[in-house]
Amino acid sequence: MTWSDGLAILGGLAAGILSGFIGIGGGTAFVPIMTVGFRFNQALAQGTSLAAIIPTAIVGGVTHVREGNVLLGPALWMGGGGVVGAIMGALLAAHVPGMILARVWGAFLVLTAFRLVQDALKKAKDAKGRAPKAS
Amino acid sequence: MIPLQLWWAGVSQRHANANSLIAIIPISIAALPVYYFLQSRPEVDFHFALFLIIGSVVGAYAGARLLNRIPEREVTLIVAAVLLIVGLKEVISP
Repeated sequence: MTWSDGLAILGGLAAGILSGFIGIGGGTAFVPIMTVGFRFNQALAQGTSLAAIIPTAIVGGVTHVREGNVLLGPALWMGGGGVVGAIMGALLAAHVPGMILARVWGAFLVLTAFRLVQDALKKAKDAKGRAPKAS
Repeated sequence: MIPLQLWWAGVSQRHANANSLIAIIPISIAALPVYYFLQSRPEVDFHFALFLIIGSVVGAYAGARLLNRIPEREVTLIVAAVLLIVGLKEVISP
């Protein structure tokens, strides 16, 4: 085992925690570790992340089922739809420059982040409004 | 998948995160052969993946157990922070 293998285990641990906690896949958690940390090219990082995410998602998913966090029907429908979407995405990726795809994807993530913060703040405000006043 | 569930299906943050992880399993299984067989050379490094997996399965178990121990609002803010960091990285340096 080399230093690089040890660092891969640590990187995997961090990506696994994020993946199990947030429910994100290899694209978000594993790919940056390989492209930024280990200088993998984008395609090799994406392919390797797919191999790593399968057992990771199975362990995280089974734990979530046991914790009662999963709505199994919708999750399986979404997985089925995702398979079709992944194939369409792969075909699209072959015709659109990778840099444009990455920027559009990044902009979508940033907008989603802002909307999530807005929702969280609104929920906190609503909860405050409903709380009984101290006498 | 997480925003779709939150805003279109009205699912809670906790369920959205967990459902998303389950849905990733068939998607990854379907996409892996594309990267291994349908490229000019196999774009999968199984040796490196093995070491990632040793860490990540432990992490995934811990992360999944952690989800029920943190309040919903904080979970949403953590999801937003991760999406913001990754999103900015993709926009600035794709």
